[in-house]
Amino acid sequence: MSGDPWIWIGAILTLMIFSFLYKDNPFYKFGEHLFVGVANGYYIVYYWQNALKPNLFEPLSAGQFIYIVPLLLGLMYFARFIPRIAWVVRIPIGFTIGWGAGLSIPALFQADVLRQLEGTVVTPATFSNPASGIWAVIILVGVVCTLIYFFFSKEHKGILGHTSRIGIIFIMIGFGASFGYTVMARVSLLIGRIQFLLGPWLGLID
Amino acid sequence: MKWYDRITTIDRRIIYLLLTVLVILPFFVKVTIPQKVMPQTQRLFDFIESIPPKDKAVMISFDYSPQTQPECHPMAKAILKHCFAREIPVIGLSFDPEAPGLAVDALVSVEREIDSLAARKEDSLIYGVDYVYLGWKSGRIAAQLDMGEAISGVFPRDYFGNLIDSLPLMQIVKNYKNIAIVVILASADYPIDWIRYPQTRYGVKVGAGLTAVMAPQYYPFVQTGQVSGLMSGMKGAAEYEKLVLEHGYARTLGNAETGMNSQSMIHILIMLFIILGNLGYFFSRRAKKEK
Repeated sequence: MSGDPWIWIGAILTLMIFSFLYKDNPFYKFGEHLFVGVANGYYIVYYWQNALKPNLFEPLSAGQFIYIVPLLLGLMYFARFIPRIAWVVRIPIGFTIGWGAGLSIPALFQADVLRQLEGTVVTPATFSNPASGIWAVIILVGVVCTLIYFFFSKEHKGILGHTSRIGIIFIMIGFGASFGYTVMARVSLLIGRIQFLLGPWLGLID
Repeated sequence: MKWYDRITTIDRRIIYLLLTVLVILPFFVKVTIPQKVMPQTQRLFDFIESIPPKDKAVMISFDYSPQTQPECHPMAKAILKHCFAREIPVIGLSFDPEAPGLAVDALVSVEREIDSLAARKEDSLIYGVDYVYLGWKSGRIAAQLDMGEAISGVFPRDYFGNLIDSLPLMQIVKNYKNIAIVVILASADYPIDWIRYPQTRYGVKVGAGLTAVMAPQYYPFVQTGQVSGLMSGMKGAAEYEKLVLEHGYARTLGNAETGMNSQSMIHILIMLFIILGNLGYFFSRRAKKEK
């Protein structure tokens, strides 16, 4: 068994949180509230030490007065708390949206639309390997049918109805795969905690 | 109470107990469930395998938090072992505020392991020469784009407070031109920014190691080649550990491979419960209709 008090604290807090699986209780509540408090404290200190201090206050105190501009923009967000001047908040929001949209639209169109479309296009070269050819056709059918499922300007009847139903199958397979992966992720977290309890705490495994 | 009603009303605490027993069991009873390496993990391994030694660096963005440590930490250690064994320099950085402690832990533990096995002094790792950890930076999109011009402009000092220009490795690695691939180990949607911005503007190669929850949304990017390789959750980590061991870059398997035995057993149990639940539902529905 570990002699390290920090390992003991970690283990006891883990057991406190796991006690919720039996039923809600004061130990679980204590663990939960402690986590929220510690996480908030960590983030406040971390952002002060690693973002605000080196990126704003240190350059300002070194005489780089251009940093007054981002300081003012940041302070304008707090105008929301004073109803009389609440409109001021639109200035930093407008600045952020303008910068974000200008930066994102071309990049997003290139990475998420054009390259993805390129990946869907089936060419004779795709069939150089029969397996990749079959997969490319399946992807093409999946993309077209799923898009048709989300096409609501015409009633889903006839060919549109059949293809949208195939689209539903593809969507369901996608949901199933995502759910399976989610289960795997959650189980991994449990395994991690059990490894911690059996290893560093109890010393039963390496 | 009929059997089908009974199986749909099993107390959840019994299910939790069974899950716990099956997670613990493989640690004490030797159960080996073989793991097949998925193509996307193989692609990431092959990409790093193709980088010539002492040439371009691998940039690893450690962007996971303590709660996803069981999935991403083994990935970090496996990929670090692979790079260091092949004498590929590593540059670490983080955009998740919870990640730096974990990044340093992964780097230090792998360094200790390699140094303990080093036969000669030259085989041991040296900070600043073989690897550098730049630390955390806010405003990740701007930082990612600026690193295309000069890494030192974004990180004037490393995590430990050293001036970047004083580190021998950083005198060679100036920007993305000296980076073979950026591997993002993340528990949130961090890789998409690397794909949208530095890849679109500078042609940066992107690899990823993601939690299983995140992985499905990146498969389209693997298919188009925008992501050069992908490790998916604990399974991806176990696969990479296996590849690293098989190629002689490590002496032992890591935590992910051990965890996968528990994982596989839990999956069998969950499938069993899904089948039982559905059987119970269909039979009770049929009984209601007959009444």
